[in-house]
Amino acid sequence: MLWEFLLAAVFGGICYLDRTAAFQVMLHRPLVVASVVGAIFGNLAAGAQVGAVLELLYIVRLPVGASIPPDDTGAAVFGGAAAATASSSIGLDPGNFTAILLLSVLCAEFGKVADRFVRRMNGRIAHLTVDMLEKGDSLAVEHGLMAGITLFGVFGMVLTLFFSGLGVSMAGFLLTRFGPESHIQFAAMLPLVPLLGAASVFSCSRTDRTSPVFYLTMGCVFAAMFFFRWLV
Amino acid sequence: MGEIPLRVRRKVWLRQFLLQGCWNYEGMQNLGFAYSILPALRDRYEGRPEELSRALKRHLEYFNTHPAMATVILGAAIRLEESVAEGKADPRAIGTFKVGLMGSLGAIGDSYFWGALKPMASAAGAIMAFVHPLLGIVTLLALYNISHLTLRFQGFAAGMGGEESAVRFLKEAGINRRTEDRKMIAAILSGAYAGVVSSQAAHMFGGAWPELGVFLIAALAVHLFTVLFRKAVSPSEVLFLLLIVGVLILWQ
Repeated sequence: MLWEFLLAAVFGGICYLDRTAAFQVMLHRPLVVASVVGAIFGNLAAGAQVGAVLELLYIVRLPVGASIPPDDTGAAVFGGAAAATASSSIGLDPGNFTAILLLSVLCAEFGKVADRFVRRMNGRIAHLTVDMLEKGDSLAVEHGLMAGITLFGVFGMVLTLFFSGLGVSMAGFLLTRFGPESHIQFAAMLPLVPLLGAASVFSCSRTDRTSPVFYLTMGCVFAAMFFFRWLV
Repeated sequence: MGEIPLRVRRKVWLRQFLLQGCWNYEGMQNLGFAYSILPALRDRYEGRPEELSRALKRHLEYFNTHPAMATVILGAAIRLEESVAEGKADPRAIGTFKVGLMGSLGAIGDSYFWGALKPMASAAGAIMAFVHPLLGIVTLLALYNISHLTLRFQGFAAGMGGEESAVRFLKEAGINRRTEDRKMIAAILSGAYAGVVSSQAAHMFGGAWPELGVFLIAALAVHLFTVLFRKAVSPSEVLFLLLIVGVLILWQ
């Protein structure tokens, strides 16, 4: 298990760097993170199942200016690790799936607070850099930036260790204590979470032209699937 | 003094990926911008450490825009620094140019990348993940990065052509039209995703009328969520509410 956590921490560090500090090539998106973390902990498909839902949930919160959206990367680390640990050979139980999705919100909010803390620390680094530059050290800019990146990366690794540990322990101890009946009741809420994700994307793309298109597509796909099931 | 050599431009291009490396609340991307432009400044002010230091301080002032659109400003700022180093321009023109452009580029970039391209790529990835997880990941990364990396590169090249070239690029890139198109595709894809989810939920009930009922409830739920989002309710708050409901269910 130690190697799994180490591998997850390295991968998480890279993803957290991609989130803000470097590249922004979307390696930090929940679909990618939860799938890879799921694969590290033994079940890629279960991780992807959680990641695909988390992918759309927080899209509506844009990282504009100084506003920081919820940490969906952290939620995906937790979700991927928990899903891989909780899944069996037939896949992820709907009750556990719902519980993992709902509990991941705690990680998303905690990660947001941690992100804010790192950015405040970066403020000190920026001040120090300006002071050093005043003294004529032009290398201070490079050192300052590297310090900022290191801080983002280390925090990402620590958060990944914490969230993946939380996910594994929750799947190992907490979810197993629920009876099958509570699983069924809990699973009744499952469709609401992906619908919340769809609404999140729709809210981003909402214009006068897109509103009818969204509901029309939703109806057509529903009708097509209904018709297909009726045929079969 | 000739043009900035290709190897220096390449260094600047690679460094711009770290623009937000030391993002902070006061200067925001200031340190990242100074870091990115540093190789060009070193080339222009070689053997003139005091002028180099002054130029660096100019770029350590507050700077914030969309990271992918910053390449336009970065390229044009290099051109302006060339003129300043040759004594043909006032150094204050650089600050004025950066401040003048960063707000509008930030708004354009946020609207295109965060409001249209990312939702579109994410919805496509989530749908393709139904087929295979790896297909979902590849779809997401490819859809986002083809446009993202192309615009970053084209923006930098346009900026390196000077201020006028940068402004021409922004006009000709048709980002507003692209934004509208991506938003339309995102709406179609998220509608399809919602259709699949509601169909899966309806299947548990069986029978045409109950299934239709589930569909209507699902459409109503989506509408309710979008109204809540418009009223600045966060998805986290909705999830917290669902979590509390879930805990109450388990408590019973």
